[in-house]
Amino acid sequence: MRKTIRCLLVYLVLCIGISTAFSQGLTPPSNVTAMDTPNDDGSSITIKWEAAPERSSISGYQILRRIAGGGLEEIGALLPAGTTTYVDSSIEKGSAYAYVVRAVTETEATVDSEETAPAKGTGELFHTGKIPLFIAMILFSAGIVWNIYYARSGKEIFVRRIPGLEAVDEAIGRATEMGRSILYSLGLGRVEEVPTIASMTILGQVARRTADYETPLHVPCRDPIVTNVVREVVRTSYLDEGRPDAYNEDNIFFLTESQFAYAAGVAGIMTREKPAAIFLQGQFFAESLILAETGNSIGAIQIAGTDSEHQLPFFIASCDYTLIGEELYAASAYLSREPMLLGSLRGQDWGKFLIFVLMILGVVLELAGVNWITTLLQRVS
Amino acid sequence: MRRQVPLILCFVFGIVMIFTQFSPHSVSQTLYQEVISWALIISPFALVLATTTLIQTHVTRIRRRTEHWQYSFLVFVGIITMVVIGVPFGPQNQVFEWFYTHVQVPMDATMFSLLAFFIASAAYRAFRARTFEASLLLITALIVMMGNVPVGDLIWNTVLSWLPLEDGASGARQWILNNPNLSARRGIILGVSLGVISQSIRIILGIERTYLGGGD
Repeated sequence: MRKTIRCLLVYLVLCIGISTAFSQGLTPPSNVTAMDTPNDDGSSITIKWEAAPERSSISGYQILRRIAGGGLEEIGALLPAGTTTYVDSSIEKGSAYAYVVRAVTETEATVDSEETAPAKGTGELFHTGKIPLFIAMILFSAGIVWNIYYARSGKEIFVRRIPGLEAVDEAIGRATEMGRSILYSLGLGRVEEVPTIASMTILGQVARRTADYETPLHVPCRDPIVTNVVREVVRTSYLDEGRPDAYNEDNIFFLTESQFAYAAGVAGIMTREKPAAIFLQGQFFAESLILAETGNSIGAIQIAGTDSEHQLPFFIASCDYTLIGEELYAASAYLSREPMLLGSLRGQDWGKFLIFVLMILGVVLELAGVNWITTLLQRVS
Repeated sequence: MRRQVPLILCFVFGIVMIFTQFSPHSVSQTLYQEVISWALIISPFALVLATTTLIQTHVTRIRRRTEHWQYSFLVFVGIITMVVIGVPFGPQNQVFEWFYTHVQVPMDATMFSLLAFFIASAAYRAFRARTFEASLLLITALIVMMGNVPVGDLIWNTVLSWLPLEDGASGARQWILNNPNLSARRGIILGVSLGVISQSIRIILGIERTYLGGGD
């Protein structure tokens, strides 16, 4: 009798235990895997597991890891219930780690998954997610290089008329006729920035013409290194035109690094010197309107150009001619008419055409319910 | 040789830096960070260059007695004051901070606030409804301005309630910014990006070399 009662009690306890476990939904996280995070420098391992059923009482997950030969240690904070992925970025490169995902309930009951196979973080040589971007870059670069070589063969290349650049000679001629100076500002860009380099190239061409016409050219700079490079660029232009005597180094000077002090300085020079032509080419920010409006108020012919799309409306409103975005980069080729530079311009247009075709195709396909171009672009970004 | 060495360096570093953007490997990323940090080394030289150039320019002006040469003395007063206070006592010094907060900041703010007047004069010129495009610009600007102020919706709903637009001035403003405005901006950004790539290729290949100046 006593044996029967004992058996019944054991059976009862087992039943209660099993039913409690099932009522809490406390099943261990399943299909837990640990693998090297793709497309990184080898400094992380990604742990994945399957989501708990919707009705389970799991309130979160705690990740535990074991380095070869060591004990289990908790890493990171408690993860929310819906989480199915964790990236462990605190690993030592070259060491193997095994992971356990611990499910935690609101009553702080826990159940552990099986331990994963050890995984190591390995740095990839190539980011596979950037393959479409890489192909696009290679294609675009190849297009430009091909056009450069095409231009070298002596074939004529058509370049559309850019009014802002056509007006360069007119502006310099006007200043010469009026016996006044020309002011050239490269904006706030530093020497390593592409718009500044593009602006220096335009300045080189402008300086050639001012050397010919013996028109004073003033270049107030915001960056001391830019100042020195610009001096060299202008000096070379004067030398190339056979007018080294007309070159005056004092006309190219460092003003200040402070944005609004630079604006005040250049606006002051405009008001005092009253240049007949003003070139604002390069990278500009909030000071763009101060400079352009001051130039406008003194009646100078103004040719502006920037790739900062926020400043373009100000230049368009206040200047006579504005080089919009890419025209700034086309200027050197346009002004020098050097075949190789013109070739690169043609390659650039090919790129634009390709993007245009892709956009039209993407819109048409999207309207037809096919979204593979959109998906491709989303993956690239 | 004077031109060839920079051209070779430019080519090698240009290609290497492009490939660091496609390789997440630690060697590649360390190299990228290392090269970026080299650029910082230039900063102290830039400071010396800046000071030297500034002093040269203003000494020349004083010596030649050019117009308004007296103001060049103010530059030296400013430089000497800040160096005398800043170098021995550091930028946290109260007097140094006072000069910054009560002289430089208000002067910058003054220049910045001038923008309000310049915007008004530029807008007046741009929005004169002489042509169809200028008229279109004027109407668009009016809608955007109305959408930016709380009273705009009230005016819109009172005066323009007959228009079949539910969200009032702020809705119309948002539509203008999200559709025609954003499309134009993206077009410009695409062109600029291609221009930058094209310019970079020209520099890397040594076709564009004006920035190197003269010399053989």
